[in-house]
Amino acid sequence: MDISEQLNLSNTTEEEIEPFLEVTPALVQKRRSQGRIIFDRFMRNKAAIIGAAFLVFMFLFCFLGPTVTGHNDPNATHVTSVSDTLAGPSWKYPLGTDDVGRDTLARAMVGGQTSLIVGLASMLMAIIFGVGIGSFAGYYGGIVDNLLMRFTDVILAIPFYLLLFVLSATFTDGSPRSVIILIAAFGWTYSARLVRGEFLALREREYVLAARTIGAKNFSIMFRHILPNAAGPIIVNATLLVGANIITESVLSYFGFGIQPPVASWGSMIGVAQNLIDVDPLLVFVPGLLIFFTVLSFNLVGDGLRDALDPYMTER
Amino acid sequence: MGEHLLEVQDLKLYFKVKAGYVHAVNGVSFSVKPGERVGVVGESGCGKSVTALSIMRLIPQPPGEYIGGSVLFEDEDLLSLPESQMRRIRGSKIGMIFQDPMTCLNPTMTVGAQIAEGLRIHLKVSKDEAMKRAISLLDQVGIPDAARRINSYPHQFSGGMRQRVMIAIALACNPKLLIADEPTTALDVTVQAQILELINGVCKEFGTAVILITHDLGVVAGMTDRVVVMYAGKVVETAPTDELFANPRHPYTLGLLDSVPRLDEQRTSMLRTIEGAPPDLVHPPAGCPFMPRCAFARAICRTMPSLDPLPGNSAHRKACWVDVTDPREQAYAEKRRRARLEAMQAAIALAADETAQPAS
Repeated sequence: MDISEQLNLSNTTEEEIEPFLEVTPALVQKRRSQGRIIFDRFMRNKAAIIGAAFLVFMFLFCFLGPTVTGHNDPNATHVTSVSDTLAGPSWKYPLGTDDVGRDTLARAMVGGQTSLIVGLASMLMAIIFGVGIGSFAGYYGGIVDNLLMRFTDVILAIPFYLLLFVLSATFTDGSPRSVIILIAAFGWTYSARLVRGEFLALREREYVLAARTIGAKNFSIMFRHILPNAAGPIIVNATLLVGANIITESVLSYFGFGIQPPVASWGSMIGVAQNLIDVDPLLVFVPGLLIFFTVLSFNLVGDGLRDALDPYMTER
Repeated sequence: MGEHLLEVQDLKLYFKVKAGYVHAVNGVSFSVKPGERVGVVGESGCGKSVTALSIMRLIPQPPGEYIGGSVLFEDEDLLSLPESQMRRIRGSKIGMIFQDPMTCLNPTMTVGAQIAEGLRIHLKVSKDEAMKRAISLLDQVGIPDAARRINSYPHQFSGGMRQRVMIAIALACNPKLLIADEPTTALDVTVQAQILELINGVCKEFGTAVILITHDLGVVAGMTDRVVVMYAGKVVETAPTDELFANPRHPYTLGLLDSVPRLDEQRTSMLRTIEGAPPDLVHPPAGCPFMPRCAFARAICRTMPSLDPLPGNSAHRKACWVDVTDPREQAYAEKRRRARLEAMQAAIALAADETAQPAS
């Protein structure tokens, strides 16, 4: 202001002087946060939103459904009257009943709980294990990499379902927990390979070297500097893994190796109902379609996340 | 020995490759006093960056191998320290800035967290305290509205601002020595000047010694107290900056200075370049590595001269047999240069003839 006043004084023509526009915080454009950018990008993908909405609906359906609708007794057999077994849709049983008169809607909801919990929990365990193995292999390379990756190859070389059938027949007790551990114990291999690949590429980045120049420890470089940069592919892989694990659980339960009756799961519902497909097709279609749409939704969300988490985003 | 902060003695670092060893750093010696600004110049691939990284022990081994020499920092040999102790020195005693600020910042961490990380590792301060210091550092390197920008991610910054952040990270723990590896190469000219001014100002304020690695002689002239000229993994000349520019004594230094265009020269005159390329460092020449390209070369150059001080000026050292100020030597060099030029023109004319012949 001083300068412009002085200039004004010396200026005989009394011309208006435009002051400089200093950059003030108010003028600096407010920027979206990283999370907001990712969210906005995800919201642009219609298929992914439909998938996400369906998943939210499925979670509400399976976990709140039983209490809200009152169909909360999946194991009660309504055999007092013959009209209650293998019944079609009605107000009392919106999706009918099965051969021993159990409420299909209640079983679908509670079975969904089992399937979703098994899918999510086994994904979580598999990802944690896979990230651990993959990051050590990729970061240290050399002999560590060789040992860990050959171990992974060995696991991958065994026929997956055959192994699961044998192991579940001998070692598990048919509870959801044992199925979760079983699926996770063999589901980590792909994420380990993926994480190893990411670490191999990212450890050569200059910011890793820069982190080393300020004296960061290996552990902190691995998990503070490199891992967040590999988060995109890992999250996508995790989402897809949930769908795959739900299928695996269903296959196991369908063949009678997974979750044992009377605990309901979508797979075991199909397994039990397949003999009755010509009598009451609804008994197969309900759990079958639920599996189909849930897994499809997880895959759509995974695809949406893949685009949203693209590391080369430059927009603000 | 106590007067030097850093003393590199006959450092040799080779890279093992299929064909043998790349003699990337081949007997480099120089020293840095506390608060001194030393420039290291030379053309691409002559071992400047590798020297810097090997001082910090950041060359991956394998393929890198320390063959010999020592790096004394505060009278402690960095090459014999265990890795855990070395980690304590990196960042707290020696900071480093790299060439490309675009790739040196972690895209998933806020700049504040990246500045605070060094503080938390070395000074063991609390998270809040580290953040507070990070804000004042960011302010010191000239980023406006630091309190708010501290939570920004690197991609929200421009190149120049990122380099400022890098400087803040490197200087966070107030190191005794800052190694700047071509800090301005990736920036445009206006920003270059600002960044150099900043490095200069901040280092003077903190009393930090600087090793400035660059191939820009203009930067060296304005920024440093002393210059080390490197060629093919060797130091060929070192002198106080003013002395080096006024009185270059090594043919390579002469060549470097001659190849910079000057405003006070006639525009039409040809730039005098250094013909040829640096030698293959897998099979470095036994004698002076510059001999194949040197106009002053003589038979004696087949043995490597030592880096000796000039008579009467112990601060100025050169590794050359020839006294380039001797008019007889200059006439000899001019003769050789002209002969080479003529041979080249003859070869071009011959090639032109040969291509023209089939047409006729």
